[in-house]
Amino acid sequence: MENRLRVLRAERNWSQQDLGERLEVSRQSINAIETGKYDPSLPLAFRIAELFELPIEEIFVSPSRRSSKAI
Amino acid sequence: MFAAKQSDATPAQRAHIRRTLWLLLAYVIILPPLVWLRAHRHISDGILMVMAALAALPVLGMFASWGRYLSDERDEYHQAVTLRRIAVATNATMGAAVVWGFLQAFGVMPLIEAYWIPFAWVVMQGAFGCFASFSRRES
Repeated sequence: MENRLRVLRAERNWSQQDLGERLEVSRQSINAIETGKYDPSLPLAFRIAELFELPIEEIFVSPSRRSSKAI
Repeated sequence: MFAAKQSDATPAQRAHIRRTLWLLLAYVIILPPLVWLRAHRHISDGILMVMAALAALPVLGMFASWGRYLSDERDEYHQAVTLRRIAVATNATMGAAVVWGFLQAFGVMPLIEAYWIPFAWVVMQGAFGCFASFSRRES
């Protein structure tokens, strides 16, 4: 799933390790989410949204919305 | 799992690796005397069953350790990766065992002892783990 995690992290000058520690997940998890190789669970997506104080849909791009835009 | 660098490993992975190494050590210590006894002494069937159970215990412990790891792992990504690796290894090993079983039944292939199946399962896991990390690096 496409997301803005890398941008949001870069805006705060956090490394993947920093963000992982804040979310209590591994650096590899952050990397997999940022590169779209892994979709986080709903609880983790909420933790990410709460950390960045943004609604989930401003961080993660809905696959259906993305495909409708492409049409 | 063993490919994970120690510094990158989660606490659950480290505990699983520690448990597995102890169990491997137990296996290496237990097996040779049992094999020697079986080959050089006449032993009753009852004792042979106990010996077979003893030899199997460390391997059963390794399976239990995998279960414990999946239950202890708090990092959902690592948990998902491990589950996928186990699913692929299980399918591949079971598939290979069925094909080999029929080939053996038709007399085309020799008999392989059943205890090699878990060994093949672990090898499949390692192979898929290497393939997955190589593809991640490529992309």
